[in-house]
Formats: sequence, structure tokens, C-alpha cells
Amino acid sequence: MSEVQLRVHELRKTFHPGLFERDVEVLKGLSLEVDRGEIFGFLGPNGAGKTTTIKAITGLVIPDSGEITVAGHRHDTMAAKRTIGFMAENPYLYPHLSGREYLRFSAELLAVDRGEIGDRVAAALEQVSMTGAADQKLTTFSKGMLQRVALAQALLGEPRLLILDEPMSGLDPIGRRDVRDLILEQRDRGVTVFFSSHIIPDVETVCDRVATVIDGRVRGVGAIHDLLAREVECYELTFTGCEPTSLSTPLSAVHRSSDAVWVRVEAEHRDTLVRELADSGARLVSLTPVRSTLEDLLVRQYEEGAAR
Amino acid sequence: MRSIRVIAANTFREAVRDRVLYLFLGFATLLLASSKLFGMLTVGDQSKILKDMGLGGIQFFTMLIAVMMSVLLISREIDSRTVYFILAKPIRRWQFLLGKYVGLLATVLVNLALMTFMLLLFVWAYGGGFDPRLMLATGMIGVEMALLVAFATLFAVLTRPILGSVFTLAVFVVGHVSEDLWLLTRHLPGSIGRGVVTVLYYLVPNLERFNFKTEVVHGLPIPVTAVLWAVLYGVLFTALVLFLACLRFGRRDLK
Repeated sequence: MSEVQLRVHELRKTFHPGLFERDVEVLKGLSLEVDRGEIFGFLGPNGAGKTTTIKAITGLVIPDSGEITVAGHRHDTMAAKRTIGFMAENPYLYPHLSGREYLRFSAELLAVDRGEIGDRVAAALEQVSMTGAADQKLTTFSKGMLQRVALAQALLGEPRLLILDEPMSGLDPIGRRDVRDLILEQRDRGVTVFFSSHIIPDVETVCDRVATVIDGRVRGVGAIHDLLAREVECYELTFTGCEPTSLSTPLSAVHRSSDAVWVRVEAEHRDTLVRELADSGARLVSLTPVRSTLEDLLVRQYEEGAAR
Repeated sequence: MRSIRVIAANTFREAVRDRVLYLFLGFATLLLASSKLFGMLTVGDQSKILKDMGLGGIQFFTMLIAVMMSVLLISREIDSRTVYFILAKPIRRWQFLLGKYVGLLATVLVNLALMTFMLLLFVWAYGGGFDPRLMLATGMIGVEMALLVAFATLFAVLTRPILGSVFTLAVFVVGHVSEDLWLLTRHLPGSIGRGVVTVLYYLVPNLERFNFKTEVVHGLPIPVTAVLWAVLYGVLFTALVLFLACLRFGRRDLK
């Protein structure tokens, strides 16, 4: 049985912006579980509660109610925090330091042995391909370079749970590929990776499981292929020996080639069409389900949420 | 302890790499250097005028450094979200805040020491000899600043930077007229007004307890007990204010 690395149970959070402003309920009983050693994607539109959830896990926001445990420890204990490596959505780093100085500072905070700090910092810089620019001031860095340093500081403490909030945003394609490779490398080392992203292809490429968050609640959770397997939008059929005009089943698209007819039919009409083709003596060549993409799924869940 | 020291060292480094600090130091040096001119334009012992103006200038500029740097550096840390990466690590919030406080206080005290050295140098250069009692007066300014930095820390976690600076300045001003407030409570006619002033009197520390400038400038005796009581008062009040700041910061959402 898989071991749970991160458990979030019935998390609720309402922000009180000010005296004359309306309260904002951001998390409405959000629950999820992340297994040890998996890459878990956290998807949702802006304002769905992804960043607030991540901030609650890392202790930056104090939940109104609910429970968060990391490797069995309450999330706000030092035992839990020692297992976490965190990278925030935007790389907010000290402008008065160089990349190397910042990582040394981070290593000191992580209570890394003094004798080990130099090697640990050098290794982290190497991992994110920043060795060459390590001694430049952070003010001279581009967003992508800052992102890499932020990632390096998250790796410094050799975390068991890596929490990354939008790690690919602001990166060029090579940077995105490097981060993807790094995430996969961490998983291979047994590290659990929990990350939020708006870049769906990246999520599809690396995640073992995903959770979709809409309006402060988890709407769906599971392996991507499982989630999408439930989401057949329509079917494409190819057949011979029958004129599509003679069919009574509503078709959404028709294409005729020299030797066969290709049609598209909504999922609910599939069985009717197959029966009708059989009755008319046609020969069915192929029947292919057309599945939703992760993006389609997310948009549909969002629209359902808005309609409620 | 290590995390407090690391955060303090980083805060100190951040402060000394900030140009604002050198602007204040430059103005303070200018004021000390020009004290001789004021002495020449005034009737009386020029050395006393130099000491009086020098100590007043040191107190004013140290206060400015304490207020501006404290509110700026703590608020900047929260507003620019550099604090996210620190507090997600195995660091307690009170450790972070104490680290900031210690770093800021170290910045203020190093500047105070520099200004004290300059004052001693100017007094000596202008023929006033070496007066070690000046160090007692600036030392007590240091105790006062420790308390003021604690208030700046509290206001930095409670409110926006500008308001934080205004409130800390208000503590400095009201703290120096605290004894007048007490007199005012006896003469105010209405009970509401008297109540408000009484509350203010007890909330704001009496900063005049740390003021030994007159005794030092005019060579008057300073009872050791007065100094010790002032230090104890400063330490206890500072601890209380820092405790409140840590309490508030511990429950604050970092959005």
C-alpha cells in the first residue's frame, strides 16, 4: 500500500480584507492526499485556491479549520518543515545578495553543517545550471534565472516533499524542459513533488496524478489517463456500404472518401448509430473514442462550478 | 539561536548595503562638523554647545535611522515576499522577527558608535579634551533606540510602512513629553480627555528616563541607580513590545 506524504483534510480559509470590504472565502473544505514518491499536479483557474492551499501547507497562511499533515507530522511543526522544499510562484529573493550568497544564507537557515555548505550550494547551482552566474547580484538576474535560484534553494535541504508553485511560469522552452527533467529526477530519487501550474502540457508530461481545484474545492483527482478516460466527448466511425444521408441518427460531422464514409457522433448516439449501420447492412471499419484533453476537462469543471 | 543569528546577519548586511543609511550618516557628520560654527555664533562655553548640539544631533539621526530602516526593512520583507522562502523553512515566526530586530538594532548601534566616535573626535579637535561621559549619554540613546526599534518592529507587522513610521515617530515625540502628559491629566477638566491622556501616558514609554544629556554637557553628577533603573526599564519595555510583535506576527496571514 502506498504511503501518504501529504494529507490535506477539509481545509477552510476566509480572508477578511478590511472593515468595509466583503470577506472572501477562498478554501471551502479542500481535501487531497499525495502519495510518497509521486508527482502530483495541482490544476485550477486563477482564484481557485491553489496558491492559498500551498501557502497553508507551508505555514504562510493560517487555515480557519481543517488539518494538514506532512509525513505524518502536523504541517506547522519543525519536523514537517524539515521535510519540505518550497518554491513560491514568483521568485522573491534578496536583491542585495548574489546567487551564491543567497543560497549560502538559505543553507544556514536549513541548519546545514558549516563544512558542507559550500559543496551543497555548488551542487544546487549545478543542478539548476546557474554555476556561471552564481556570483552576480540577484538584481541583474532575469526572471528565469531568479526562478532557477529559487528552485536551487528549494533543493538545498534535500527535501522529501518538494512544493512548487507555478515552477515553469516565466521560463523559456529550454528552462521549462530543464525544470521538467529536474522534477522527474527528484521523483526518481524518491522525492514527492507537489506542484501547481497553468501550463497544462507540462502537467500532462510529468504528473503521475492531478487534482483539479475549482472554487476552493477539489473537483477531480486521479491519474490523468483515468480522469480523461471518463471524459469521452464523441466517437468517430468509419464504415462502407451505406449512405450517411439514409441514417436517422444525428451526425456532427461527415466526410466521404472514395471507398469509405467517416462520421462523428455524440457519445449518447453511438449505440443507436452502430445498430442502424448493422440493420442497413453496412460494414463498420473503425470506431474511435475522442477523448477530452486535460484543458477541456478543466474548462468543463470550471463552467459547471460557475453554473451552480 | 543559529537561525536568529543568520537572519540578523542578513538584515545587517541588507542595511549596510542600503544607500539611505549613508545619507543619514552623511547628514549627521555634517551637523557635527558644523556644531563649531553654531558655537561661534552663540554666547557661552563653546565646548558645551558642541556637546549639546552633537548629542542632540546624534539622537535625532539615530532615531531617523532606527525608524526608517526598521519599518522599511521589515515591511519590505513582508511586502516583497522574500519572507515566504524563509518562513517555509524550519524557522519559527518569532525567530524570524527577533532576527530582524537584532539585525536592525546592530545597524543602529554601529551607526551610533560611529557618530559617538566622531563627536569625541570633534570635541577633542576643538579643544574640549576627551570626555568619556559623552559615551554614557550616547549609550543611553542606544537603550532608547533599542526600545524604539522594538516599537518600529511592532508597527511594521501591524500596519503599512508609512503608518508604521508615523506611529513610531509619534512614540518618540510623545515619549519625550510623557512627564508633561502626567501633568496634563491633573489639569484637564473633562473625564474623557483625562482618560485618553492617562491611557496614552501608560502605553507610551517615558523616553526622558534615558536622557542624560544635560548632566553630561554641564558636568552634573549622574546617580548610578538612575542609569540602572533606566536600563532595566528600557529592557523590560522592549521585551514587552517585542513579545506583542511576535504574538501578532505569529497569527498573521502572509498573502
